[in-house]
Amino acid sequence: MVVLIMRLKVIVCSVILCGALACAAVRPATVQETTTPRPEPDRVVHVIAERFLFTPSQITVEVGTTLEIRLTSEDTDHGFRIVGPGDINVAIPKRGRGEAIATFEATEPGEYRFECSRVCGAGHNYMNGVIRVTPSSTERAASGGSR
Amino acid sequence: MRFFQTGLLLAALLSPGVAEAQSGAGQNTSQTGPISGYMEMHFNRPIDDVAPPVLDFHRFVLLVSHRFSDRIHFFGELEIEHALVEGLEVGGELEVEQAYLDMLVRPELNFRAGMLLAPMGIINERHEPPTFYGVERPFVDTVIIPTTWFDVGAGIHGTIGGKLRYRLYVMAPLDSVAFSAEEGFRDAAQSGSEAQVRSVALTGRAEYVAIRGLQLGASFWRGNSSVTLNRLETPTGMIVADARFTRGPFEGRAEYAHGFVDGAAELNGAVFRLTGVDPNVARQIRGFYFEGAYHLLPRNHLHDLGVFLRYENFDTQFRMDDGNVELLEFDRDAWVVGANYWLDPDVVLKVDYSHVGSQSQVIPGPRTFNLGIGWWF
Repeated sequence: MVVLIMRLKVIVCSVILCGALACAAVRPATVQETTTPRPEPDRVVHVIAERFLFTPSQITVEVGTTLEIRLTSEDTDHGFRIVGPGDINVAIPKRGRGEAIATFEATEPGEYRFECSRVCGAGHNYMNGVIRVTPSSTERAASGGSR
Repeated sequence: MRFFQTGLLLAALLSPGVAEAQSGAGQNTSQTGPISGYMEMHFNRPIDDVAPPVLDFHRFVLLVSHRFSDRIHFFGELEIEHALVEGLEVGGELEVEQAYLDMLVRPELNFRAGMLLAPMGIINERHEPPTFYGVERPFVDTVIIPTTWFDVGAGIHGTIGGKLRYRLYVMAPLDSVAFSAEEGFRDAAQSGSEAQVRSVALTGRAEYVAIRGLQLGASFWRGNSSVTLNRLETPTGMIVADARFTRGPFEGRAEYAHGFVDGAAELNGAVFRLTGVDPNVARQIRGFYFEGAYHLLPRNHLHDLGVFLRYENFDTQFRMDDGNVELLEFDRDAWVVGANYWLDPDVVLKVDYSHVGSQSQVIPGPRTFNLGIGWWF
C-alpha cells in the first residue's frame, strides 16, 4: 500500500510538473484587434459563450440603438449569428484567444434571434438567445398620448 | 516494471502538450472543417490485478449539422465505441446517437423530431471529454442514468424569459427485459432500431440558467417498458436533479437520480420463466454524487490544470419487491480523485484513481488507475 501511494505521488507530481513546464512557456492571451472602423456604439454588452449557453441570452434595446456585443468564450470556439437582415455572423475564439465584436443596428422593433453558428458539442442547438428591439421612449409616449 | 510502463505511457501522452507549449506554435490557429467531433482514448489499470490493464480507443464521434433555412436545422452525431465493430461478436458499437430536425418558431416554442438524446442529468447531453473531470464518466451517469441514452422521438423545446430552458419529448420506451441487477437500465434503450412503441415514454427537463455560473436542472422519464414482454405492465420512471456551479477557480457538481420499476416482481418472474435466470431487478434504483474541483492556473490561459475529488453512491438494488433479496455487492460507493490538464481548451489529458466499494463483505469493489486523452474539434 505504501509503495502504491508512493507511485501515485510520483505520477501526480509528474503531471503537475509537466503542466507547470508547459504553462511557463505559454504566452499571455492576446485580444483581437479589429482593423475596420466600427460605428460608435450607443450601448456595449458583454456576452459570455460557453457550452451550451450565452450569458446573457436576452438583450433588450430601444430602436435606433447601435449595440456593440463583445463576445468571449469560456471554453471552445463558438459562433454568434444574428438571424435576419444583415445576417451578422462572427467567430468567437476559444478561451484565452481574445474576443469577438458584433455590431447590431436596431433599426426596426421586433425580436431578433441569435444562435451559435459553430458546432460546439452535443447540445449545440440549444445555444441561442434573442435581442428584443422595443420602440423608443418618445414613440411609446406618442402612441400612449394618442389613445 | 509496470510502473515504468505506466510512466512511459504518461510521458507519451503529455509530450505533445509540452512540445506545443514550448514552441508557442498554434496559439491563434484554431481551425475547423465542416465536420466536428470528439475522441477519447483510455488506459485503465486495475490495481488489484484481477484483470489485465486495458488500452482502449473508447470513443470516436463525428458531428455534422446543416441549415436548410433560418428555421429548419439538422444535427447529427455518429459514434464508434471501442474502435471496432464486428458482426456476431462482442465488441464495439456503431451508433447514431443524434439525428434530428429542429423547426424553430419562437424562442419559447420550437419543435424537434428524430433521434434524440434523453434530456436526463448532466452528462447525457454534455459529454465532450474536455467538459468533465475524470477519465471515465461518473458511475451515476453510467449505471443509474444509462448514458449515452438516446432513442427516436419528437417534442418541443425553448427558453422562457432567458432564464428557464426546457425540453419535452415523447420517445420510444425502454425494454424491461434488458434491466439488470448490476446495471439497472443500462442496456434497456431501444436506440431507435426498429423501436417498438405500443406506448411512448414521456421525458422532459427544465434548466434554470438565470445566475451566471450556476445551472440547476431537473429531469424526468416515464413510460411503460413492456416491449419484449408485452403482456406485462412495467411502468418505469426516473427523476433527476442536478446542479453545476463555477466561481473563480472553484467548480462544483452534484446530481441525484432515482429510478422506479413498477411490477419488478412480475418482471423477474417472467424473465425467469423465459430464460431460467432471475435477473433480480430492483423496484427502485438510486444514485448521487458530489464533485469539487479547483483550477490551479489563471482562467485566461490557454492551458489549464484542474484537480478534482468526487464521491459517488449508487445502488441498483435500492428497494426490492417481495420475493427478491437485495444483492449487497450492487450497493456501491466510489471515490475518484485526479486531475485534468487542458493543453488547449479543446484537448485534455486526464489522470485519476478510482476506488469503488460495496456493502458486500465477500466481493470487494475494484480500484483502478486511469489515464486518458480526449479532444474536441
